[in-house]
Amino acid sequence: MVTGKGGVGKTTVAVALGRALADAGRRTLVLEVDPRENAHRMLGVPPSGGEVAIVRPRLFLQNLRPRAVLDQLVREQVRIGPVVRRILDSEIYRHFAEGAPGFKELAILGHALRLLRGLERVRPRAGRGGRGAQQSPDVDVVVLDAPATGHGLSLLLAPRLTAETVGKGPIGSMATELVALVDDPLRTGVVIAAAAEEMPMQEAIESLERLRSELGRPPDAVVVNGLYPAFPSADPAPDAAGRLWRDRRAVNDRELARLAAAWQGPRPELPLLALESGPGLVAELASRLADSAGGAP
Amino acid sequence: MIERAGDAVIDLAERQPPLIVVVGAGGVGKTTLAAAMGVQSAAAGVDTLVMTFDPSLRLKDALGVDESARDAEVRVPGATGAGLWAGLLDARRTFDRLVERHAPDGEARARILGNRFYRNLAGSLAGILEYMAVERLWEAWESRRWQRIILDTPPTRQALDFLEAPERIVNFLDSGALRVALKPWFDEGGRLRAASRWGAMGRSFEAWLDQVVGLDLLRDMAEFFAAFAPLFAGFRSRALEVQALLRGPETLFVLVAGPGEERNADTLFFARRLREAGYRLGPIVVNRIHPPGDPEAPVEGEGRRLLAWLAERDARGVAALSGLLPVGQPLLSLPLRAAEPVDLASLAALGEAFRHRT
Repeated sequence: MVTGKGGVGKTTVAVALGRALADAGRRTLVLEVDPRENAHRMLGVPPSGGEVAIVRPRLFLQNLRPRAVLDQLVREQVRIGPVVRRILDSEIYRHFAEGAPGFKELAILGHALRLLRGLERVRPRAGRGGRGAQQSPDVDVVVLDAPATGHGLSLLLAPRLTAETVGKGPIGSMATELVALVDDPLRTGVVIAAAAEEMPMQEAIESLERLRSELGRPPDAVVVNGLYPAFPSADPAPDAAGRLWRDRRAVNDRELARLAAAWQGPRPELPLLALESGPGLVAELASRLADSAGGAP
Repeated sequence: MIERAGDAVIDLAERQPPLIVVVGAGGVGKTTLAAAMGVQSAAAGVDTLVMTFDPSLRLKDALGVDESARDAEVRVPGATGAGLWAGLLDARRTFDRLVERHAPDGEARARILGNRFYRNLAGSLAGILEYMAVERLWEAWESRRWQRIILDTPPTRQALDFLEAPERIVNFLDSGALRVALKPWFDEGGRLRAASRWGAMGRSFEAWLDQVVGLDLLRDMAEFFAAFAPLFAGFRSRALEVQALLRGPETLFVLVAGPGEERNADTLFFARRLREAGYRLGPIVVNRIHPPGDPEAPVEGEGRRLLAWLAERDARGVAALSGLLPVGQPLLSLPLRAAEPVDLASLAALGEAFRHRT
């Protein structure tokens, strides 16, 4: 799960992480949750439109509409065609699906869990098994580009809140199952995307603290994106561009030091590159992520 | 840097417009720009309130305000000219305050504040932050304490959620969904009324419902809506007033965007949506562009090549955007600074960009 506030390149980090995992041999699905699709451009494929797009061997992309997942859940739970239609068309359901706290988040996480269990396929298969039939999943990892709301932690906190409030029944047990998924560091990794600038770093550190205090776990990594290259100390009398570079890099260094003081875990750094946003940039960033993880992301 | 002049001007030394709404995607520097405009507006002699959402601690430091700004507007010490105030929006506290203020009596207040649904979930109801911003804005606007309010909107990628919040709340309050929620579903003993009327079938329905979502939750929700019912009329009328205010001649929108051509689609989309929805769009500001280097200076080494490339990319993005905007749409670009403003002086320097008519 890649979290982080807007503007720090969260989607870039998520997509690069997906690419790195795929390159390392894991079958990976990048799940984007944003009605204005963006990730497909970075990967050089047409917009997903809600379907699963095959990007390259072992790498898939899907733009998830939480509402579609909720609708599907209603279809599966109720099963009676006319009743399903009445529910889906009703004003109450619409307000509920749009406004009820936590349900979109549950739908997103639930979808990821079903993919990993093989209950949901990335590719339609001939002779699909019966309802709920367990098949071997066709992805090993789902990289979730968490919606950039609040500190992006609402997704992680939603199952707990729902489990506590609802408690029982299918929704409650689904929430409880998702709490177990989110709490298990072997199954769910949390990556905070950050930028080494004043406010974004402040927010990343606040996210870190909230992860510890509210979920009782640290992130797996804080990826620092968009770093200026080191300024050559030998540069004698920098011009305006050189001064800007020197000063921005000084801000980067100061913020990296602030992060290091708050968090001693993995902090991969991604540089600013003279490359247009697209597959070339993603491939380059993916290889840097793989390098920083010692070849084992 | 003024890229294009246009009709919808902004001059912070004038009293007009009295409400400036700063919108744009997250992470483009909206909050800082809103604060900088506030400093400039106050310096020009206009009593100004800057309302913002959860800014970083450093910005609070820069404005010299603390956590107390979450509860009320605080005067920014050291600002020159007229008064400058700052308010930080906290959805939860605004919600509680609304309840405190508008609940018909102490008992109703206690009932809402003690409700489990309200305590656990109401704070995360979709759109609640946006709606609370609407309430807080109206409260400030109605008080007539300031000649100008500069509103920094919540950081959502589409940033339209805030503008649609008043409409959404009115739709919900007018909807059948609310009427259903307000029906007396439960009897005095907390049993489902329908269940006791329908006998055995009703009881098995009640048990099923208890299984699926839990009767406790439904009871809490029903109680929540019932307790809130007396407040709905007020919510509705204030939402309508804010809707009118945002579309009125008092209000000008400033759209802030990030540099780079790949962001232009989002910027154009947002500008079009604003105009189509009847809002008055002032300047579009492309923030933090890498300035062009000295043409005489050699471009050598990885670092300098990167900077030259970034400057060229950002200039290309602004030029492309300018070509795509409708006639008369002012466009302003602001250079990336050595560091983000951290005090009143540096905020004032940034605010200079808005001093002149765009």
